[in-house]
Amino acid sequence: MRAFAVIGIAIVVAAAPSLVAAHHSFAAFDRGKKVVLVGVVKDFQWTNPHAWIQLVVLASNGDRTEWGVECGSPNMMARTGWKKDLLRPGDQVVVTVNPLLDGRPNGSLVSIQLPNGTVLGPGDAPPPKPLGSITTR
Amino acid sequence: MSASLRIALLLIAATFAGCGAPRPAPEALAKPRDAGERGFTGVFVPIGSFEDPAGPPPFQNTRWPANPPFTDWGAAESRRLTDPANLKVCSPNGPVFFMSEVGIFPLQFLEAPDQIVILREASGMPRRIYTDGRAHPEDLEPSWMGHSIGHFDGETLVVDTVGLNGQARAMNGVGSNARVSEDDAKPRMPSSEQLHLVERMKLVANGELLEDELTIVDPKTYTEPVILKHYFQRRPDIDMLEYYCNENPRDDTVVSGSTSK
Repeated sequence: MRAFAVIGIAIVVAAAPSLVAAHHSFAAFDRGKKVVLVGVVKDFQWTNPHAWIQLVVLASNGDRTEWGVECGSPNMMARTGWKKDLLRPGDQVVVTVNPLLDGRPNGSLVSIQLPNGTVLGPGDAPPPKPLGSITTR
Repeated sequence: MSASLRIALLLIAATFAGCGAPRPAPEALAKPRDAGERGFTGVFVPIGSFEDPAGPPPFQNTRWPANPPFTDWGAAESRRLTDPANLKVCSPNGPVFFMSEVGIFPLQFLEAPDQIVILREASGMPRRIYTDGRAHPEDLEPSWMGHSIGHFDGETLVVDTVGLNGQARAMNGVGSNARVSEDDAKPRMPSSEQLHLVERMKLVANGELLEDELTIVDPKTYTEPVILKHYFQRRPDIDMLEYYCNENPRDDTVVSGSTSK
């Protein structure tokens, strides 16, 4: 496993909710809190109804915590810039999540910075086209 | 080898030769992709996103009422569906949710001589609207999507749907819950086996948008009709994908992490 260049977890309280959702309520997550995780990808599950990132985070006291990070559906993600091979085991990433309210290491993805610097969200509707730009018949 | 067999083999070879090739630009594809006798055939993406559920003006989705006109049963059922224990996360959509979600999953309209079929990417079951003049059967078996018949009133497709089983998810959200944190505090909108849905679908904005006006009549659940308008943008650049809801049925409330030294 690649060495951790940065260690730790930062907690940011923010009012804006993240918007990932597809087939269930996200009431279990704390929409008012954002946690920034720096970690190494253990597994990337490109699956419906949601993709998942298993992320190993090293704390300053030496604890290694594996987080489950829930993304949108691959369909939503593919239409907003994702591909199934953008994340590989061993990749170091910076992940912002809304954590579970009960404190367990599981979060709803807000954004992720990939090793190449690209920042992606959890997936959403495809960007709309301006009216007048579509050939109808 | 007969001529027809040779043609069939050539077609098969051509089909497989195309696998993995980049998709041609929409302008390069055959026009019938978005034609159909009434102009409905094609892929449409619902207007609106999680960030902006109504979508941009001038064609905006109607939001659900903040204070729905519930009957006593409707209010109790709405509360029941708010309980996470009653989640039905992969059960069918029902026709209203099918037509009123924001734009994360496209619809595909297909016109056949006797019916119009609507596919929804995240739904395993289509809507099938018979346009051949038939009536609803008298001994209708209740079903998830109900029985739909349609006719054209000028350029408007009028669709009448009955025969629901009352088991579908809440009409305004997924998994019997609403879809974003903002909506988690809002009332779930149940429906019952008494649901009678009347829709008026028409193309607007020079055919770039499809408008669906939904009149939801369900006397068991609501004391008066609930009327919504939803818009769908024609998107010849988008292909429908697969969606299998039970592929990875992890629950976000189940522990997925662990700590070790």
